[in-house]
Amino acid sequence: MTTSILIMLTIWAFVILEKQTNIFKGLDLVIFILIIVLGAIAFFVALKKEKEEKQGFVTDDEMSLLIKYKSGYYAYLASMYMWLFIFIFKDKFPDIETMLGGGILLSALILFITKLVIKKHVNG
Amino acid sequence: MDNRIKELRARDGLTQSDLAKKVDVRRETIVFLEKGKYNPSLKLAHEISKVFGMTIEEVFRLD
Repeated sequence: MTTSILIMLTIWAFVILEKQTNIFKGLDLVIFILIIVLGAIAFFVALKKEKEEKQGFVTDDEMSLLIKYKSGYYAYLASMYMWLFIFIFKDKFPDIETMLGGGILLSALILFITKLVIKKHVNG
Repeated sequence: MDNRIKELRARDGLTQSDLAKKVDVRRETIVFLEKGKYNPSLKLAHEISKVFGMTIEEVFRLD
């Protein structure tokens, strides 16, 4: 997840910065902020995992894998409804890049939020 | 499921990190186990019990 978010961050930062005249209008601003926030979170999570690895801990164990599998399942379901919503209201988006990019970012946000919720109720 | 991990760690002078390394899990897993937020697999329960030199039933109990 960390790698994919960082790649997405790079691509979308590049795309949005190319449209510099529109960067602070409406949906572009929201997407830009979301990229920064998710990118920052992904960066700090990656740093934390690297620190744990250097201290001799495993990076994944039965609990973290269980959280990943559960949150992946629920995030996938939620994302399906999110994309359906986007499809129904596709005419409301200014352009296809905003629609698709926003959808991809929202999928990442859904996964992040789902992981937080599953962590609170993780009992295996 | 309830457990005595925190009490036994204190008895043996182990930190959460020490125990995590001994049973090959993340420190966060030990934190969640102690708070009762996570129920371990049979394998993990067995390994933790082995660290304390006790049986699974002596370390873990169903509510």
